Amino acid sequence: MARVAATFAWLTGRRLAGIAVELWLPILLFAGWWVASSGSASLYFVGLDSILGALRDDWLGEAGAANVLPSLRNLAEGFLLAAFIGVVLGTVLGLVRPLGNAVSPIVEFLRSVPGVALLPIGLLIFGIGSEMKVSLIAYGSVWPILLNTIDGVRSVDAIKLDVLRSYRVPAHLRILGVVLPSAAPRIMVGLRTSLSIAITIIVFSEMIGSTDGIGYAILQAQRNFEIPQMWAGMLALGVIGYLLNIGFRGVEQLVLRRHRAMNTTPGS
Amino acid sequence: MTAPGALLRRAGARGGGAGGVKVLTVLGVLALWQLLSSTGALAADVIPSPAAIGVSLVGVLGGPEFWQALGLTLLSWALGLLVSICLAVPVGLLLGASELAYRSCRFTIDFLRTIPPVALVPLALLLYGATTQMKLVLVVLGAVWPLLLQSMYGVHQVDLVARETARSYRLGRWLRTAFVVLPSAAPFVFTGVRIAATMALLLTIGAEVIGGAPGLGAAMALAQTASDIPRLFALVAASAVLGVLINTVLARVERRVLSWHVSQRPSRG
Repeated sequence: MARVAATFAWLTGRRLAGIAVELWLPILLFAGWWVASSGSASLYFVGLDSILGALRDDWLGEAGAANVLPSLRNLAEGFLLAAFIGVVLGTVLGLVRPLGNAVSPIVEFLRSVPGVALLPIGLLIFGIGSEMKVSLIAYGSVWPILLNTIDGVRSVDAIKLDVLRSYRVPAHLRILGVVLPSAAPRIMVGLRTSLSIAITIIVFSEMIGSTDGIGYAILQAQRNFEIPQMWAGMLALGVIGYLLNIGFRGVEQLVLRRHRAMNTTPGS
Repeated sequence: MTAPGALLRRAGARGGGAGGVKVLTVLGVLALWQLLSSTGALAADVIPSPAAIGVSLVGVLGGPEFWQALGLTLLSWALGLLVSICLAVPVGLLLGASELAYRSCRFTIDFLRTIPPVALVPLALLLYGATTQMKLVLVVLGAVWPLLLQSMYGVHQVDLVARETARSYRLGRWLRTAFVVLPSAAPFVFTGVRIAATMALLLTIGAEVIGGAPGLGAAMALAQTASDIPRLFALVAASAVLGVLINTVLARVERRVLSWHVSQRPSRG
């Protein structure tokens, strides 16, 4: 009994008030939307009840899986590819400073290409298909990871590196054991920025060159004037985006907890 | 191993040599690309040679269509960014000033922010068709969130000691706002402006590519349908230059406006 009470102790008093403060506005907005849109005669701003109905039919269960899974798979592949390339290349460019400086104008230029501008080129090279989407996502989201990795690697304590070198610790151990863990917070910042870019690009690419995925489903609904379905798709996309962000925050906390535990030496 | 690296680093720090190395690297990469293209290692119908792109770029820059498209893109970018700043910054500053308002809105804004603005393309197309208005709606819906969040954070994180000091000297609400709150929030707001500016350009061009609203993006889509590949690459390169220019100008403005702030002092490295 006492254990149960202890488990729920955090729910009492101030915690509860805190949760209430965070939640009253979204609930009010949702209720307001419901009331304002119920029995709406507008062609475009349809009632929330029909949107939720479409959400249940199209975005939950099997139909939802058929729409969402291809997007998530492409997103994961592109994002992981970008993370791998960004971290590896960023570590090299960060450690070998002359090389990093020499290619910096090229990086700066390539990074400024708006990701969506590459859509026509991607279509030309790969045609419609997941190859095109994965490579667009990888290209668009690699830059924040690359730049943050370079910065993170460069800000590793020089004395630490010198100590490791004088103890003749092999390079791969130095990188895996010290350089990357110290750069981890910056790398995570880059990954988070990249995640939202990747989500944007996947939806964009599905709207133009695709026959499946979330973006395709939403645009298709609009073209067929299935307005509740379109709204439901937009809502589903919002929820998916939010869940991905929450998931990423969890991973980030896990990674950085190790980082903090490692770096809590006296004086730092 | 360290000696040559240190020498190079010192040479880089002197500045003169570094610029030369960068120019040489760029030229080297372009030469390698040209070589790969002329030997046929890169198929010309997939990735054209830099020379072909250059020739096409000269043609593109010489015609009035490009400048017209650029003007339309820049117009909706600037208007959208301006509207977003006017909407989001005051609201964000006000919300950040009250603890209750800050915590009440945090979840809602966090949720709305994660909805990719692209999701609204179909709705905007439905409401406005392929017009500048459509682009504006998208740009504002995407650019408002970083501005709002950064302004809220900025006010929320004003140094407590500074705030209390101002209060104990009995500075009035307006004086406190003008001399303590706004200056401490300014760097955060500026970061928001930079994020929003990039976002706005991305969305403007995206809306043009997908929605067909007139501008650089529509010109790209046109070049793609016409299979004029060098022209397509030239347009993409031009949009990248636009992105670089916007970044550079904003960074310079930030340095000038916030020259008094800690974050802009050179000692930070």
